[in-house]
Amino acid sequence: MAGKHGWKCLAVGLLSLIAVPLAQAAAPAEKVIRIGAMYPMTGRPGLYGMDSVAAAEMAIDEINAKGVAGGYKIDAIFTDSKAKPAYAVRVANRYIAEDKVHFLFGVVSSGVGLAVTEVSKQNKVIFIGTDHAATELTVDNFQPYYFRVSNDTFQSMAAGALYLKEMAKTKPWKKIAYIGPDYSYGHAQWDELRYNLDRFGVPFEVVGEYWPKLSDPDYSAYITSIIKDKPDVLVAGFWGGDTVAFIKQAKAYGMFDKLTYFHPDAGGNYELMSAMGDELPLGLILSARHHNNWPVTERNKKFVEEFKKRTGRYPTYAAEGAYAGIYAIAQAVEKVGNPDDADALVKAMEGMKLNLPEDPEGFVSIIDPGTHQIMQVQAIGTTIANADFPPAKVMLGNWSVYQPADIFVPAEYIAAKRKK
Amino acid sequence: MGRSDMKSLCNGNMLGWGALILAFALVPVLMTSQYQLNVACNVLIWALFATSFNMLWGVTGMLSFGQALYYGVGGYAIGLTVTYLGSQWYFAAFAAGLLFTLVLSFLLGLLVIRVGGVYYTMLTLAFGQLAWQIMFKLYDFTGGDDGLQGITLPGLLANKVYYYYFVMILVLLAVWVLKRMAYSPFGLILRGVRQNPNRVRFLGRRVRRNQLRVYIVASLFATVAGALMAGVDGSVHTDMFFWTTSGEVILMSVLGGISHFFGPFCGAVVIILIEDIVGAHTEYWSLLIGSIIMVMVIGFPRGLVGGALDVAAKVRATLQGAKHDDTTLTAGLGK
Amino acid sequence: MDFSFLLTQMVSGLTMATLLFLVASGLTLIFGVGNVFNFAHGSFYMLGAYLGYQVVTVWSLNFWFALLFAALGAGVIGALIECLVLRRIYGRANEGGFQILLTYCLILIIDDLVKLVWGAEYKSISRPAGFSGSLTVGDIAIPSYNLLIIAIGLVVVVASWWILNRTRPGKIARAAAVDREMLGALGINVPLTMTVVFGIATALGGLTGALAAPLRTVTPGAGIEVIIDSMIVVVMGGMGNFWGAWLGALLLGEVNAFAVAFVPEWATLFSFLVMVVVLIFKPEGLFAPRTTRKV
Repeated sequence: MAGKHGWKCLAVGLLSLIAVPLAQAAAPAEKVIRIGAMYPMTGRPGLYGMDSVAAAEMAIDEINAKGVAGGYKIDAIFTDSKAKPAYAVRVANRYIAEDKVHFLFGVVSSGVGLAVTEVSKQNKVIFIGTDHAATELTVDNFQPYYFRVSNDTFQSMAAGALYLKEMAKTKPWKKIAYIGPDYSYGHAQWDELRYNLDRFGVPFEVVGEYWPKLSDPDYSAYITSIIKDKPDVLVAGFWGGDTVAFIKQAKAYGMFDKLTYFHPDAGGNYELMSAMGDELPLGLILSARHHNNWPVTERNKKFVEEFKKRTGRYPTYAAEGAYAGIYAIAQAVEKVGNPDDADALVKAMEGMKLNLPEDPEGFVSIIDPGTHQIMQVQAIGTTIANADFPPAKVMLGNWSVYQPADIFVPAEYIAAKRKK
Repeated sequence: MGRSDMKSLCNGNMLGWGALILAFALVPVLMTSQYQLNVACNVLIWALFATSFNMLWGVTGMLSFGQALYYGVGGYAIGLTVTYLGSQWYFAAFAAGLLFTLVLSFLLGLLVIRVGGVYYTMLTLAFGQLAWQIMFKLYDFTGGDDGLQGITLPGLLANKVYYYYFVMILVLLAVWVLKRMAYSPFGLILRGVRQNPNRVRFLGRRVRRNQLRVYIVASLFATVAGALMAGVDGSVHTDMFFWTTSGEVILMSVLGGISHFFGPFCGAVVIILIEDIVGAHTEYWSLLIGSIIMVMVIGFPRGLVGGALDVAAKVRATLQGAKHDDTTLTAGLGK
Repeated sequence: MDFSFLLTQMVSGLTMATLLFLVASGLTLIFGVGNVFNFAHGSFYMLGAYLGYQVVTVWSLNFWFALLFAALGAGVIGALIECLVLRRIYGRANEGGFQILLTYCLILIIDDLVKLVWGAEYKSISRPAGFSGSLTVGDIAIPSYNLLIIAIGLVVVVASWWILNRTRPGKIARAAAVDREMLGALGINVPLTMTVVFGIATALGGLTGALAAPLRTVTPGAGIEVIIDSMIVVVMGGMGNFWGAWLGALLLGEVNAFAVAFVPEWATLFSFLVMVVVLIFKPEGLFAPRTTRKV
């Protein structure tokens, strides 16, 4: 009977299952800080991943050229997380068990971040989050081995609330509507903005809430419905290609003449400017976690130009997060003297000061010991003509700058969330 | 099928099962890192999921694009119960998940089997996506797309190696049950449903009733797979309900060969391993995996298992001049 | 809730519906005529968008030329793939399954190739001259480009109906759907017919991609996002039925548009609800003939 042969095939297949990983295991080199990075590199979020990888490699080259204390070199492995939590968890497990990494690193999507922070907690391996922004990671789901080196949504929404408060003095508004992707990132922004508006005593009236699915290609129905609601301010919570599609379609309907467009978390990312060129309307109020043209410091200029030299394009904000993450690791290892003692590294990173490209003159980013969340300045700007960063023809300007002391997650918020 | 055939099949069976059990049982002994245990768990669970799915497609000819629904039910039954009630309820959750699937697949089954062919496929897809959307929307209860983390297992199962053996025993047991079923009189009727429903009716059997039965059986085993998956990573995600999950088992089954009982099993092994190895080494995994599978598809018209059997038969024929005779799922009712 | 709002909301739904139909049209053609399920159809849509971007933004040429170029490019690539790859699996046992697997591989491959050629950055095309403004109805403006898309959708549905039902090539194509062997016996080159039909289907996908590019984002992964909704439309309309696909798309687009306006919190549920309801009550699609046609 040939059934028997079926069994043989199966047995051979299974043996290869055991043999292949055996062949893969290689002896780790001496005096190396091993980093296991996970970024999406395919599909829609691929740009964020590619920019992060390029910037992380840039930081590694810079640091390795100088050398870290104790003669350590940094070596990073990059794997496509496919933006799928279950797959990323497998990758993280492989990094820890097979590659013996000292740090898990990266991750763009918060869903993936929440899954990976669990692996980090179980294995007591430090996880440096560079891009995902869900506040839960440092508040509700806080665990000691997690650190985040870019602002979370709470900080951008608090800054946003302050901006709206000031704006009311020159350009009175009351009615507000929201549109954001229908998943936790979109919902968290809206919750946090309303929380902060209440906290700062800003009166507002919600006239509409819209939840298109993530990467919905078509927003016509949403746009006409928003115009009908007649809000003074439309708050948007998209990221990436969705922002581009929404603004293009809304512009065709003349929506930007009828209301103030406000997009304080990821709206001001360079990808939007580079995709839309001179089609991007002026006067939109946007922000992002890093800007290519702010702050105007040598450090930032150098970072942006170096990135451009390496990749041929200007960076999106994801790049600066990854760059900061590598520097945080180098600095922590320098302080502890080796990358092996995770608990000492955690101690070293708590309250650590990091001088980063996005820090304006006279300010240094600092990691909050209570939440392991970096505290950074947030700058919100409006779109103005500026062709210094081609292919963009419009960049942000007219900056309003917010200090971390004013926008950081308040203690009572943390206490309330952690009690649950 | 003659008596002597039956006997040799049994011998082959014993040998095969022995090899299979041995191969998987040795993983914790031979492994060089915990990670391989994780991969082996993934392989086993997906293999069960694909095998159960193929009871619908390869055996009965009902291509479902929505089995992720029941896979997700299994995962979330464990996830929600452990999160809200604690890990001592683990086994109760397992049973509750199966019970829920029993009821749900009975009710949905009544609706979906009314339509045939591609309409059945799309209707299962629609229900699967509907369930995904609902799980996604019930953010406060299910955690939405953030999923549920920190699912701990009770007692000995908390140990990774014990959990692996738990998974292994359940999966192999389930596969054995499914195999028995596929070659039982019930399995013969199912194959008849695929090949010629009218003939089944002439034989006095009800087509719809048997379709509903196999739909429920396949869904129950998908639930088992999902429930086991929840313990592997200690987390569940709404991705479990998403159509790509249903798609993945289709790909595994086709690649392995849907007309062989162990085709989907092998397909699952191959796809998980390729994904893992290629994904670890190149950023252009999608180009590479696409190309590899494409070559396999073109090179093995009957799937990997079918192809391997062809090769084996040729080798035997040249060695012994013996006539090749294979037992595939196409065999059964007279030709 | 005034009348002008209902009207604009309807036009919004119509725009969504037409783009949905245009993607679905190629899918329904190759499905209905060739019995090939092209899971990678969305990838040809994406390819068309990138080809359009190449012509308009990189080469700074005319938008209408870009439409032509995208359709031709996607059509030729589609025909080549049919010749080189898909043809090898015709007539296999379980052909349907292999079609899904093979075209899924195409999705993976095309996605990466696009990234290699054009990079991962988001791209965009400006609306063509003459269609960047809008028509004003009451106090709401309707973009003229949206109206153009709606018109093109109508042209495609009428033209394909006419070609399939009133011309000889169309009749050959429909015959191929029924009985390929008989067609071959009549002296028709069946493989060539299949290649041409596949090429036309992917050309429709490419055309739609370029047509949608001024409204949407050109990005890797754009293909997979449109495929499920178009599958719904194809099945609701009845496979190979252009009018059915058009009306199915219309139903989905309008239900969506009004769900957004009236129950925004649950809007995303509706496309699947519509399909579930349609398939439960009309299992063979919206426009299935009551009895099987006589041969």
